[in-house]
Amino acid sequence: MNELETEIQRLKEELDRKREEITDLKKLAGRDIDRAFEAPLEEFSDKELDDYLRDGLSAVNTLADARPDLRAITSSRKTLGRPVLFLKRVLLETTFSQLDVFLDRQIGFNKQMVTLIRILRGRLADRMKALEEKAAGLEEDTVLLRSRLDDLGARLK
Amino acid sequence: MKSLTTASGRNLAKAVRDISRRRGVQAAADELARRERALGLRRPTLAVYDHAFQFIGGAQKYGLTLTSALQDLFDVTILTNRDIGQREFREWYGLDLSSCAIKVIPLPVFEERKVVHLDPSFVTRGIENPFHRISRESGCYDVFVNNSMNEMVYPLARESVLICHFPERRPKSYFYADRYTRVVCNSRYTAEWIEKKWKFRPYRLLYPPVDMETGEITAPKKKIILSVARFEPEGFKRQREMIAAFLKLRRGRLDIAGEWKFVLVGGSNPGNAYLDGLHDLADSAPAGSVELKVNISAVELMSLYREASVFWHMCGLKQEDPGETEHFGMTVVEAMQNEVVPIVFDGGGLPEIVDHGVNGFRVRSTAELLTRTLALIRDPAARESFGRAAREKSRIFARPQFEATVRTIFGEILESLRSPKSPDRA
Repeated sequence: MNELETEIQRLKEELDRKREEITDLKKLAGRDIDRAFEAPLEEFSDKELDDYLRDGLSAVNTLADARPDLRAITSSRKTLGRPVLFLKRVLLETTFSQLDVFLDRQIGFNKQMVTLIRILRGRLADRMKALEEKAAGLEEDTVLLRSRLDDLGARLK
Repeated sequence: MKSLTTASGRNLAKAVRDISRRRGVQAAADELARRERALGLRRPTLAVYDHAFQFIGGAQKYGLTLTSALQDLFDVTILTNRDIGQREFREWYGLDLSSCAIKVIPLPVFEERKVVHLDPSFVTRGIENPFHRISRESGCYDVFVNNSMNEMVYPLARESVLICHFPERRPKSYFYADRYTRVVCNSRYTAEWIEKKWKFRPYRLLYPPVDMETGEITAPKKKIILSVARFEPEGFKRQREMIAAFLKLRRGRLDIAGEWKFVLVGGSNPGNAYLDGLHDLADSAPAGSVELKVNISAVELMSLYREASVFWHMCGLKQEDPGETEHFGMTVVEAMQNEVVPIVFDGGGLPEIVDHGVNGFRVRSTAELLTRTLALIRDPAARESFGRAAREKSRIFARPQFEATVRTIFGEILESLRSPKSPDRA
């Protein structure tokens, strides 16, 4: 191994070490890797819409648990801290207790709507499927009857 | 000479550290690797990843046949998440991958849940991306090939190829398909949906390799209609509809179809309720008219291909989701390689294989399926000529064609690796 090869080997080990130290993939890639994407609902298939509705329902449930924890409020002021905290809590609790009533009703309504849409979609899909099956069966019967008819016609000629 | 190498060593160290400072560690490692290759100190390295290599499957055969064709160009590592060996690859696909290394990278999230299938769809923004472990590993090679139906692996290698068997997901959390330098797809149908869902054009089309040709067909064909498709628990392959149609055909035209038999072949896991239902349906048919053959050997399958006259494939029927239609249709090509006349659903990737009225037929309903089948049943000469035309068409999907395209694609990648300029992403 010549000196250049030794240097390459040394550099490789140095870079591997650095790579190991970096835990954030974004930093390793040297660029932002995650982005936000819009969901083009009008392009979705029925199955994708079903999945979207299911995810929507679970998002509503998550939202219901996502209210701020008022106990987590802190203050950095040494002497004034306690009364400031007390006032903050009173103010926020009063505001949130008013908001909670409204939010609970809104979340309940959203849940009901998403469930309703899912049920309606399911029923419509079932009806459509039954109709399609009936139509397919009739088409098959027609093919077989026509083939019999053709054979009879050929025999009569 | 010694002082020259010392000087170039110093220059190299300076250049690499400079890149590391400006563009990051990965870019510096890429540049170092490029110089190493340019000096002829090592061969280019390539890793092929699939989170489902531990299962037998068409997509996995595709990825490993590609790997096999690249062994003489690269030092290849096969990346998997579960323990698997050369022996299985040889037994399942007849591939000798002995010059490839195999590296197993377990994904703790899936291991803790003790799941059989590592289903990427379970990963959402709410949890940390478990595939970042593979992303990190990808940076250790010159070329990274992702053969998974999983675009949550971010490619760090200088050259990266995403083999897309179908774009299942739309761009959402952890979507990195457009971060690969090249996206290769398995059919024009897949390419069309990549454009629709991902909004970019794939780099190249590479049809799957199909090698089920069993030699010259000399013995007369039997009155068998064959179907070869996995018994999916969701019934996507439409075996139930095909059995029902066949029974109707038999009942309605016993005089013509009475001597014909419908044989359905496919793989299945134990406890498949859909398959149980098919067994019930087959039991209700007159003895011997409908046969279900589950998980049979390749030898038995080959013999069935040689004997059968007509091939039915209706995956895509009654389906509006593009992902649940056949993305290509390897078993249709297998049948055609053995002069079995295909009657297939007119959707997905199947129109790329079967030219309607030339080497088989494409239909949109079970009624059309019966019309075309009746015509073929009545006309042995037509069966023979369509069978020969089918065999002719199937040649474009044979393994030598696949390997030639693989070498062209990766020849271009090797060329790009020599350039100091980093390639653009897809």
